[in-house]
Amino acid sequence: MRHARIIFDGRELDVDIDSADRITTTSGELLNVTLDSDQITWLPPVKEPGTIFALGLNYADHATELAFEPPKEPLVFIKHANTLTGHKQISYRPDSIEFQHYECELVAVIGKRGKNIKREDALDYIAGYTVCNDFAIRDYLENYYRPNLRVKSRDSLLPMGPWIIDTADVPDVMNLRLTTAVNGKITQDGSTKDMIFDVPFLVEYLSKIMTLNPGDMIATGTPHGVVDMQPGDIVVCSVENICSLETRIVSEQTYYGDKY
Amino acid sequence: MIANTLVKSKLVCVALNDKHQLTALQDTFKKDPYKKPPTQPVLYYKPRNTWNVDGAEIEWAKDFDGQDVASMVVGASLGIVIGQETCRVSVENALDFVGGYTLVADYSLPEKNYYRPDIKGKCLDGSAPVGPNIISRSTLENLDDLQVVIKVNGERKSLFALADMERSVAELISIISHIMTLQPGEVIAVGFAGDRVPVGKGDTVEASIEGVGTLTNTLGGA
Repeated sequence: MRHARIIFDGRELDVDIDSADRITTTSGELLNVTLDSDQITWLPPVKEPGTIFALGLNYADHATELAFEPPKEPLVFIKHANTLTGHKQISYRPDSIEFQHYECELVAVIGKRGKNIKREDALDYIAGYTVCNDFAIRDYLENYYRPNLRVKSRDSLLPMGPWIIDTADVPDVMNLRLTTAVNGKITQDGSTKDMIFDVPFLVEYLSKIMTLNPGDMIATGTPHGVVDMQPGDIVVCSVENICSLETRIVSEQTYYGDKY
Repeated sequence: MIANTLVKSKLVCVALNDKHQLTALQDTFKKDPYKKPPTQPVLYYKPRNTWNVDGAEIEWAKDFDGQDVASMVVGASLGIVIGQETCRVSVENALDFVGGYTLVADYSLPEKNYYRPDIKGKCLDGSAPVGPNIISRSTLENLDDLQVVIKVNGERKSLFALADMERSVAELISIISHIMTLQPGEVIAVGFAGDRVPVGKGDTVEASIEGVGTLTNTLGGA
């Protein structure tokens, strides 16, 4: 089963999506709408988002591309809910920068509280999986707490969704094709099998440091193949058998409107 | 998770905001891996699992083998509590968005360098007490006159004047609000003395700012 949060018919709804793509509210109402309908506004799929852990340099090939040694332990940074937006929503390109790129990532959503979780038990603590696009502004990198909040904590630059698929429905999570298409052309093509630190390892690692709580998320990093984004671009991040996440890039002024 | 009703959704901390510390580190920061001194505020989060309250015992951290760590340190900062949605505000208007003030203590492992986010050192459960309560903005007249004092077992170990901050409260609110939209109840810890204070098992730590309050916690593990 898949789970999403949407606005439909003026109502904010938690919905389940079955294998025949039927959309049902959690109170059992079948919605007369299809998944690709413009009548659906997709919200970020985690209802009460907690701490978002994101991985840097977690694919062997991406680590090479960026001219770093593959890390000996995970490079983890933290993000918060201000960065989240949903499927088919907008993200912005900051003014006066040279290089903003997408990062298509598998996300594990924590469903159960735990500390010191062993990797063989890790999947018991994961409610399900989704996809995110963990945009980065490379111009803003500095060698302090790299990647810093200016690169990775900006409003709207972590689209996620459209839905969470139950853990039990994805038996082969460490062997899924992961692709990104920009304006219809595939620019990134990898597999979760190339992850350096896999999902069970990351759950064990993080939970040795701190308690993980329901609604926390682990964005597991991206493979090679990142390219610059410009306003007007449509970027679609897909992980096989999980979901495809579409985002349209706008200018900073368009995004902030009156607050610009 | 320990409920802390004083913090809503986000606790942003500013590192390396002590002028004297930046001066002392300027040669280090010209070398690898830093290559040049920071041009922007150096920020980190204390995520929700770290939030704690006045009076709470702070757990003594364990290493990855499950053994007690050798040492822990504490820093303390004025905490700015955001009063209304704060998006892309100017330095001139920034203080209008402050709802109140509090204290933030940051218990962590000693920090060896600043190159990568320090998740292992800074995300320990219950390591960020905030409080004892929030005082209203109008109570404090000149933030530059404030001093953050840390006492361990009654003895003063650290004194940090906010006038020694590299960037002011207003500058920080403005800069951070251009990165992320801040919401009411979110807290910014604006600056810590460069030298964090070593603490031991069973120690009682009082972080205080005159006019804001005293945040008292004890270390566990004794």
